[in-house]
Amino acid sequence: MKNFNLYGRVSALAIMAFMLSCFSGFAQEEATEEPAKERPARPAFESGLLFDGATTTLQPSKTLEMIIQHRFGTMDNGVKDLYGIWAPSNIRLGMNYSILNNLMVGIGTTKFNKMQDIQVKYNVLQQTRSNKIPVTISLYEVVGIDGSSDEKFGVNYKFSNRFNYFTQIIISRRFNDMFSLQIAPGFTHYNSVDSTLDHDRLSFSFAGRVKFSPQSSLVIGADIPLRVQGISEHSKDFNDTNANWNQMLPNINIGYEVSTSTHAFHLYLASGQGILPQENIMFNKNDFFSKGILIGLNITRLWSF
Amino acid sequence: MKKTFNLAAIICTVVIFMAANVSYAQKAGGPWTIPAKYKSMKSTIKAGDPSINSTGKELYNKHCKSCHGAKGLGDGPKAANLKTSTGDFSSKKFQDQADGDIYYQSFVGRDEMPNFEKKILDESDRWAVVYFMRTMKK
Repeated sequence: MKNFNLYGRVSALAIMAFMLSCFSGFAQEEATEEPAKERPARPAFESGLLFDGATTTLQPSKTLEMIIQHRFGTMDNGVKDLYGIWAPSNIRLGMNYSILNNLMVGIGTTKFNKMQDIQVKYNVLQQTRSNKIPVTISLYEVVGIDGSSDEKFGVNYKFSNRFNYFTQIIISRRFNDMFSLQIAPGFTHYNSVDSTLDHDRLSFSFAGRVKFSPQSSLVIGADIPLRVQGISEHSKDFNDTNANWNQMLPNINIGYEVSTSTHAFHLYLASGQGILPQENIMFNKNDFFSKGILIGLNITRLWSF
Repeated sequence: MKKTFNLAAIICTVVIFMAANVSYAQKAGGPWTIPAKYKSMKSTIKAGDPSINSTGKELYNKHCKSCHGAKGLGDGPKAANLKTSTGDFSSKKFQDQADGDIYYQSFVGRDEMPNFEKKILDESDRWAVVYFMRTMKK
């Protein structure tokens, strides 16, 4: 018997609303010519990166993308640390390369936990302008390797203790030039966790954008870890009263995107500081609605070869 | 001795700063050699298509405006960094060109003018940009 919390119920409603709207007739692409040949729809999002996660957007083959992600500290100390700007921050440097038009690989390194990562994104299905295919679907995988000292992993240390995995199916739809939405169920696994936590977590993410000018958008998103007793290694009583579920908080993001021909910039408020999706899903303890807000900044740069 | 050294250091710094900020006169680009395939190319959208002022304008603003300017006058913020003048899309000389010529120059490019074939993949989107540039006519 699955035990969904409030965020789980909201996630389920969002999925149903999204699926219903995909198949309704109101969303039209630029319908100006005979659909003699199926044309792929323009990307739902300007960049393949949004907040801490991926979108279904892939750059054309032989494109190199450099990524800088910066998360300041939380604002709860007020002006003492200039609302988190002077507080300990997390940063990731990454590079992605599109091998094919629908396949991207990437690597990165993150300050917290000295996390190294390898990423792969693959577009399975591409939305078309005639709406014959109403969504774009991507598969996204992030393999993290924790670079912390051996002691962190307790006794009987093995190298495999360092590995963690995030697997996600991303489903997006470009409704029109102004509005796009995506939903993404995910699965996180850590080879090594504290005894009070589960190795596995299910999650639900969503993101949306409202483009209010040719280069600027309001962007909003969330990564919500789900309390699924069926995959838990602990009893329900334990989960309800201990850190495993008590400190399970979503990563909520809201902010502003600017995109140019070669760059995308995100400036936004967030609660997750982990940067890698699995770090936020498993360990985020910042409550967006209770002094757990921080400033996030992403910069991407593209080179076409 | 120390005063002389400090003075020399200040003068060198000023000279280097000024040299770095000299703007060299831009040269107009030479005539384009347009391949036959592009000379005879025909648009996949009709004049007056609604995508011209939506998709065409959006893609122009995203990919072209930073060098060519919002009205195609060659006054975008990045234009001053280029050795070649970015032209004037409102001019008769530019507008008198065939559609295919403008298409080639815009998406295949040369030298400092990048290739945009991978940035704007859809054929009709590219023509929307070309026709949007035609709306910049004086």
